[in-house]
Amino acid sequence: MAEVHVIGQIVGASNFPSSTLFCKWAFHAGGAWKVVSGLKEGQTHIDNPEYGETTYWCHPVDIHFATRGVQGWPKIHFQVYHQDRFGRCEIYGYGFIHVPTTPGNHVLECVTWRPVGSMRDQINQFFLGGGPQLKNPDVVYSGQDRYRLQTETMGVIHLELNVILRNFHKFGVEY
Amino acid sequence: MSNGVFLLSLTGQIESAVFPDFDDIYCKYCFTYGSDWAITSGLEEGISQIGKCSRDDRQSFVWNFPLDVTFKSTNPFGWPQIVISVYGLDAFGNDVVRGYGLCHIPIAAGQYKKTLPMFVPESTTLLQKLTCWLTGRRPEYVEPRILGQGEGREVTRVRSQGWVKVCFNTITRDIQQLGYSTRSSSNSHSCLSL
Repeated sequence: MAEVHVIGQIVGASNFPSSTLFCKWAFHAGGAWKVVSGLKEGQTHIDNPEYGETTYWCHPVDIHFATRGVQGWPKIHFQVYHQDRFGRCEIYGYGFIHVPTTPGNHVLECVTWRPVGSMRDQINQFFLGGGPQLKNPDVVYSGQDRYRLQTETMGVIHLELNVILRNFHKFGVEY
Repeated sequence: MSNGVFLLSLTGQIESAVFPDFDDIYCKYCFTYGSDWAITSGLEEGISQIGKCSRDDRQSFVWNFPLDVTFKSTNPFGWPQIVISVYGLDAFGNDVVRGYGLCHIPIAAGQYKKTLPMFVPESTTLLQKLTCWLTGRRPEYVEPRILGQGEGREVTRVRSQGWVKVCFNTITRDIQQLGYSTRSSSNSHSCLSL
């Protein structure tokens, strides 16, 4: 079986409306893929930056996959939340990114979006916080069932991932 | 023959730091790595000198502190991470933590310069904040190595403040022989920093 190591960091986020943020992340891969060791999902700490608008999480990622095929190449999906002064959490963005298919060091940016509600919801959201969330978070990383959603642009998540591939040449896979 | 073992040699230095509101700070470094890894030579931990902020536009603390260590392993999982903790003295002479930061040792051989953001844990409740202020004891990690695990972080609140510049030179041995490719064939490697 061919092996893939993904080693790196979820560095942080920028361009969100507020910078007191945390993020839940998870890997998703196709049926031919198996996680040999490492964490498949996690949650970062809540960072409240002192200087500037960039939130830093420095969250380590180290996962080892074994695979029988290249279909369903792993991707990471994210849910970014904002925690306000009162300790309430609201969704600030959904996003996903594929793990790069070439070995080496990659600096990546994952763009995010979040659903918007009706005019009334938006007024409520402006004064009270909160807002619509996805009932079914699969929509974040699948292309199906998206056409009815109305969304707005949110910030960017920064990642630095190192990819190590093993034994792909044996099976004639080129990269 | 390599017996399935590869080596990773790291040389480099903790160059300098930027902490806009502090003075008289020093740093400690340590490594955290998986169970398949071991250090074959070099120091696993170190403490730098106490530096003062430069009185020019750079506003930086130079430590110029050397790193020189060799690891061996049979499996890239648990790739070593450097954990840097920065301490300083407050107005009453207490040792106070000013930041924690971490990153993986670069995987493909080459020269890398990284700027690590530093963060400190914060008290979560107002009462804790008050007791911290009265006693002068701030929240800190008893074992900074747990930062490298990525588990149990959801319970902590941190404040990021300051940056540390680190320079790495890495060499690997036998890693390609074991079938691992760590860099793309088209472009050799690009030195990236945030």
